[in-house]
Amino acid sequence: MPRQPSPDFSTSVKLKYVKLGYQYLVNHFLTLLLIPMIATTALELFRRGPEEISTLYDSIEFDVLHITFSVFVIIFVLIVYFMSRPRPVYLVDYACFKPSPSCRVPFATFMEHTSMICEDPKSVQFQTRILERSGLGEETCLPPANHYIPPNPTMEAARAEAQLVIFSAIDDLIKKTGLQPKHIDILVVNCSLFSPTPSLSAMIVNKYKLRSNIKSFNLSGMGCSAGLLSIDLARDLLQVHPGSNALVISTEIITPNFYKGNRRDMLLPNCLFRMGAAAVLLSNRRRDASRAKYRLLHLVRTHKGADDRAYRCVYQEEDSDGHCGISLSKDLMAIAGDALKSNITTIGPLVLPMSEQLLFFFTLVGRKLIKPNLRPYIPDFKQAFEHFCIHAGGRAVIDELQKSLQLSAEHVEASRMTLHRFGNTSSSSLWYELNYIESKGRMRRGNRVWQIGFGSGFKCNSAVWKCLRTVKTPVDGPWEECADRYPVDIPEIVKL
Amino acid sequence: MEFLATLTTLLLFFSLYLILKHYYLKLYTNCYLIDYVCFKPASDRRITTQTSGQIIERNKTLGLSEYKFLLKVIVNSGIGEDTYGPRNIIEGREDSPTFDDAMIEMDEFLNVSIGDLFAKTKISPRDVDVLVVNISMFSPAPSLASRILKRYKMREDCKIYNLSGMGCSASLVSVDLVRNIFKSGKKTLAVVVTSESITPNWYSGNDKSMMLGNCLFRSGGCVMLLTNNPAMRSRAKMILKCLVRTHIGANDDAHNCAMQKEDDVGRVGFHLSKGLPKAAVRAFAENLKHLAPKILPYRELALYMYGTVKQLVIKPKLESNSAMARINFKSGVDHFCLHTGGSAVIEAVGRALGLSKYDVEPARMTLHRWGNTSASSLWYVLGYMEAKRRLRKGDRVLMISFGAGFKCNSCMWEVNEDLQDGDVWEDCIKNYPPQTLVNPYLEKYGWVNEDTEETFNREERMESLKW
Repeated sequence: MPRQPSPDFSTSVKLKYVKLGYQYLVNHFLTLLLIPMIATTALELFRRGPEEISTLYDSIEFDVLHITFSVFVIIFVLIVYFMSRPRPVYLVDYACFKPSPSCRVPFATFMEHTSMICEDPKSVQFQTRILERSGLGEETCLPPANHYIPPNPTMEAARAEAQLVIFSAIDDLIKKTGLQPKHIDILVVNCSLFSPTPSLSAMIVNKYKLRSNIKSFNLSGMGCSAGLLSIDLARDLLQVHPGSNALVISTEIITPNFYKGNRRDMLLPNCLFRMGAAAVLLSNRRRDASRAKYRLLHLVRTHKGADDRAYRCVYQEEDSDGHCGISLSKDLMAIAGDALKSNITTIGPLVLPMSEQLLFFFTLVGRKLIKPNLRPYIPDFKQAFEHFCIHAGGRAVIDELQKSLQLSAEHVEASRMTLHRFGNTSSSSLWYELNYIESKGRMRRGNRVWQIGFGSGFKCNSAVWKCLRTVKTPVDGPWEECADRYPVDIPEIVKL
Repeated sequence: MEFLATLTTLLLFFSLYLILKHYYLKLYTNCYLIDYVCFKPASDRRITTQTSGQIIERNKTLGLSEYKFLLKVIVNSGIGEDTYGPRNIIEGREDSPTFDDAMIEMDEFLNVSIGDLFAKTKISPRDVDVLVVNISMFSPAPSLASRILKRYKMREDCKIYNLSGMGCSASLVSVDLVRNIFKSGKKTLAVVVTSESITPNWYSGNDKSMMLGNCLFRSGGCVMLLTNNPAMRSRAKMILKCLVRTHIGANDDAHNCAMQKEDDVGRVGFHLSKGLPKAAVRAFAENLKHLAPKILPYRELALYMYGTVKQLVIKPKLESNSAMARINFKSGVDHFCLHTGGSAVIEAVGRALGLSKYDVEPARMTLHRWGNTSASSLWYVLGYMEAKRRLRKGDRVLMISFGAGFKCNSCMWEVNEDLQDGDVWEDCIKNYPPQTLVNPYLEKYGWVNEDTEETFNREERMESLKW
């Protein structure tokens, strides 16, 4: 797309100040309104004179009964008001799976394995090209079963991978938070492409000896945005059960999903998906408010599945040779953009400051009524959030979102670096990105984070968190050893 | 002092409004079952004893001991001649199920039953706020919940959840999920879809513990419409009174007793171990511990407490199982929907609860007519009771199900009006209960018990299977 010619420098500076002034005026409207009110009251007082004021004061009759009654009513109203507010959902802490270096898949290993497994040289070439442009680094990891030539995707190996990633993440979380497994009330697990019976949630109940009255749910097939879906479910459950906590596990199991065929649209996931898992502890207990890291402000879910094109854009099916794989259609970017627009339409009014909303509203009115050619106003989300966690689905997704939301390179740095260091870990990628921001010491108290996930269906889910305490570095987690080496410059094409 | 008076009255009205809002919220915590529709597969998917025989014959890995085992299972299963299976198995392709086969099996159910439910209840798909799907052994991407959303063009902000891997008790897990969402206070309409996928899960080996699944599971499904809107109470069939979930997965034996895994040769199958009945009993006891206080009248509870104290003090050596039998569950419950896991399961639960033949009849007849349809079986049992006109206003129905993990989930419904809809049982209810439940296999294949390894001639015996 051709870039718009940049306006004159002096005009742009003037415009910037005008915009700043406008934002300040609108956002602090009520406070600014107080100034003329105080001025008028003060003037009135001076005009009246002190004697008049004292006579006015004496004329007020204070009836004891009346006062006690009013006081009681006020206290009562305050109690009822506080009791009927929705319970806050706190994110006490979270832990991500830190893969061992022995599972690393540098480009050379990947290409060598691919050329040994794949019979069609064109497929090998295609996968090389994808890897060159993928934005992945040399330290991403695949599970042990995928290191075999050819890969050995038995159910036992898939369960072993699940146990490795999930139990490591939960062990880390237990160490960080001092969580006692017997105190977990709600358990939600999401893993899209591996769903054995008994479920992964039953596996966790078995390993950590959770209580028999635990409310466990195992979501499957819900794609890369399922992490936020699980948080939504946990939130709904926490609203209903006071004084509880919820453990949410997001992961994707790679072992059973290696594609053995030659269809190009199905080879992409082989190149991009990598091993990862995240364990998140949510709570609605008031005593956890002091030690919690974040509070959940909003969570918006959008599902574009009613449209056939959107539904088929990430689709699991069998190719003509009977090999099962996930096809990613060429429309993916356009559909993602569309889904994001829908999601923004809902979340915008909840998070944007009044100045942006008014601008958006007036441009909309202008476009509908006055001048249809007026460029649509894209609200400036940088006003509403300090940090962005965009699902590291692939380089193209991050590029597309950076463009449509008009974000700077620093805003998408967490996503790009996570993609580089860990690859596309599906639903847990948002948590790796958040960990990156914390490890770089950028997370301060009061900061707001916007997590956006995309997934098959086609869904776009987003969550807004508010940081409750400044996170001090160094931070325990997968970025502990390598945060200093980042950010790195990721070239457009890595020559292999 | 008018200012203070006005302020007080305003605050008073505001607090009254908040109290009313709170009270209104409490009103919305009820879960009403508006209607449900069970799935009746097409008649060309029928699996008869003859079909079963042909399927057994196709598996070349089976030897005499396996035939003995299989025939014993089929004969004692309590499953009749009119159950349904997936197309690929009937067409002879059970060894190599494709992804498309599994999808076709699901589509046949989803495209029919959900549309029927919408037509029956006159609800538009766009009114649905929550959709929960539980299909344990097949979970494609995008999820089956997304598939339903697309097929029926539901709203963009409809909350969908796709549960998987949660076993035969998953339909009550879905109801639990919906019930929790209902408690948040907003008026919500929810659809729960429950079924099981058999196509990709056929076991083609000869490990006996894994062949049981092949013999017992049949195709079926159910779709339910639930709401918390008090305005729809008059249309509701039943109201949910309580729901108790128990998970004893912390115990290793219980967790491993029903597990999907590979056999020695690498073929995937559903392993049902010998420890399963024990795990079921433990889970059931644990569940009853929490359920009994919620459903039994106080008199019964008091009697039980008296009995336990007496036993502990006077005769401390007696087993605890006998204490369970002394509770008369029928004092608080009128009808029992038992999971049709197999005739042994039904008998065991019936004995534990002290049930009569009349009480276990719906479950046994459902097992006979539909087989073990996994999570949706409870709804077929409910359908039988409804078709027999047993459900009257005010009756209380107890549903109990077991599932891999090991879970025992139970819930109690109160019938809201006299129910008369036969649904999928309408065409055959007159034939139930039948004169005899004895399986015709018994006389035809008696040789199984007479043959030994030396006298067994496979070809000859297989010829005899061709009627």
